[in-house]
Amino acid sequence: MAEAPVNPLVPMTGRIIKIVEETPDVKTFHVTTEQGKPFTPLPGQLAMLSLLDVGEAMFSITSQGPEHLELAIKRVGMLTDALHEAEEGQMVGIRGPYGNGFPVEDLKGKDILFIGGGIGLAPVRSLINYCIEHREDYGHLWIIYGARSPADLCFKDDLFNNWPRVENCRVDVTVDKGDATWQGHEGFVPAFVEELKPDPAGKVAVTCGPPIMIKFVLQSLEKLGYKDDQIITTLEMRMKCGIGKCGRCNLGSKYVCLDGPVFTLAQLKQLPNEY
Amino acid sequence: MLKIAKDKLPELLKAWAINAAVFVPQEKGGTRVFQPWDGQPSLTLDGGNTLEPPKDLFFPRTETMYRYEVQGKEAGVTEIPTFDGKMVLVGVRSCDARSFLIMDDVFLTKGYVDEFYRRRRENTRVVALACTQNAPTCFCTSFGIDPGRAEGVDVQMWPVADGYLLEPITAAGRELLDQAGELLTATDTAPPPAAVPGLVVDVTGVTEKLQGMFEHPYWTAVSRKCLGCGACTYLCPTCHCFDIQGENRGNSGYKFRCWDSCMFSEYTRMAGGHNPRPSKKERLRNRFLHKLQYFPERYGKFACVGCGRCLDRCPVNVDITRVIREVKEVAL
Ligand SMILES: Cc1cc2nc3c(=O)[nH]c(=O)nc-3n(C[C@H](O)[C@H](O)[C@H](O)COP(=O)(O)OP(=O)(O)OC[C@H]3O[C@@H](n4cnc5c(N)ncnc54)[C@H](O)[C@@H]3O)c2cc1C
Ligand code: SF4
Ligand code: SF4
Ligand code: FES
Repeated sequence: MAEAPVNPLVPMTGRIIKIVEETPDVKTFHVTTEQGKPFTPLPGQLAMLSLLDVGEAMFSITSQGPEHLELAIKRVGMLTDALHEAEEGQMVGIRGPYGNGFPVEDLKGKDILFIGGGIGLAPVRSLINYCIEHREDYGHLWIIYGARSPADLCFKDDLFNNWPRVENCRVDVTVDKGDATWQGHEGFVPAFVEELKPDPAGKVAVTCGPPIMIKFVLQSLEKLGYKDDQIITTLEMRMKCGIGKCGRCNLGSKYVCLDGPVFTLAQLKQLPNEY
Repeated sequence: MLKIAKDKLPELLKAWAINAAVFVPQEKGGTRVFQPWDGQPSLTLDGGNTLEPPKDLFFPRTETMYRYEVQGKEAGVTEIPTFDGKMVLVGVRSCDARSFLIMDDVFLTKGYVDEFYRRRRENTRVVALACTQNAPTCFCTSFGIDPGRAEGVDVQMWPVADGYLLEPITAAGRELLDQAGELLTATDTAPPPAAVPGLVVDVTGVTEKLQGMFEHPYWTAVSRKCLGCGACTYLCPTCHCFDIQGENRGNSGYKFRCWDSCMFSEYTRMAGGHNPRPSKKERLRNRFLHKLQYFPERYGKFACVGCGRCLDRCPVNVDITRVIREVKEVAL
């Protein structure tokens, strides 16, 4: 493992060794350092990634290999534009891992329902891959995922090739609106969840996506009988330090960068509705 | 108890200045701020607290964090050696001394240590000065602070008619006084009574009350006149929020952090434009809840020390003591 600087605000240098084009505006970046993997995050943890002369932002670590971390990044602004222009071999700054990650211990022995929308599959994917790697510790895995159009589906290789082949793992995909080539389901994620009726017994639902999707997915899950402590989600807030000092990402007395980004719905209901 | 004559104090500061940068409250452009002692032979330490708190000595307004170079695909980061000088802060009031302990909680606990802050803090000795004069806006005693005796300092000092009484509190404080040699004499003079602020507000139960007040219309009312100027947060000794920015020149540049304020609209605005605190109402509410509810919940103490700077300087008289009083009165 690479040696992290003593100062938690100073990044180590890493290199983008592979870029995967997921959709017209999402790319997955594989990052490593000269000494190997920058660090070994828990599923759901975060990294601050920078192009040093452009800027720095927080990203979910969507997966990891023995020697690298993967970050799936949507092109929305200055830094992400520049990252999308970068080529393999580009050096970057990276610091982390930050955040609490998913409660992988508490989830042991349970069936897990994953519900993702758009790039919101990025954090969830780290947990899916973790559960697949530790297959014997977890029950049935069910992945429900949707994107705006077939072209906007992220992680297609996982969705259509890798995950459906895993024992005891089901994958259902929907798009808001199909096209000439699309043979699959059409419709929004929350309605799709209600159609599929995943039984809450013995399950935990893990959901992430655009705020509006999360809002309606939560309603659908409630209709299906899921309780607040059976639902896990991840939050996004503006972040700068990532270590609970800069004060930016507070939700009541919690800092999303330290105490989150993963919260159960039961925990969220204890916090001010300010996200 | 030890004593130094008033006209000998500069000699003591001179002794301390051999090994450290000595900061004392001094006039600058008509306001009192902590500044490096310029060696002036006459020195007055009375005249109320400084307009700006000494927090920038531990947490500078802007601080360079590291340098970088980018050449095509290659890039490198150079850590900047952290502060390694020594400082002696003379004349810190009890309220500001408490604020250091609050800042310590933020920067030194909860899993991560902020190295920039730690280096400055650990290399600084604090000599407190008891208040014999206060402003109409002071209300430190409401937070259990004793204006006559500061917490967490190395030396406590009291002004008396012809000099200052000095009591070492820590080993480091004793070392400081040992450097005084002949300048100090023993005395059995008792410390004078402190000036007790007339402004008092009962803070008991305010955290619990606020826990049920997030959606209360009171916040709309109290935020109506706020200008969002951020003066309250810049002058507050316990406000610690910062931004991280970079300065790029050609192939190289540096990253720095600088003070920021939750009173600014950009503060929480995310990519895509979503802002969880879109108006002054949410921002002012956050500021008061942070000081009076969230900080107590997270660190077990209020993030206000009753220094009164924010109520003294707010251009439209938003007054935290009135907020505390009114919060306790509104119906839930
Ligand atoms: C906990 C956490 C996890 C995150 N995980 C990820 C992740 O896995 N992948 C990821 O891509 N991002 C993730 N983000 C978001 C990421 O940190 C950045 O905020 C985001 O990528 C924007 O970066 P930027 O610097 O390029 O945008 P900026 O340079 O700040 O520019 C943003 C600007 O672009 C425009 N813009 C932004 N979004 C949109 C939009 N949707 N539609 C139209 N215009 C828009 C707006 O004008 C906005 O001002 C995460 C954030 C957090 C806090
Ligand atoms: S000083 Fe007063 S007007 Fe300015 S931001 Fe603070 S409360 Fe608002
Ligand atoms: S909130 Fe106001 S009175 Fe309280 S410590 Fe800050 S500046 Fe002083
Ligand atoms: S990002 Fe700084 S406190 Fe969370």
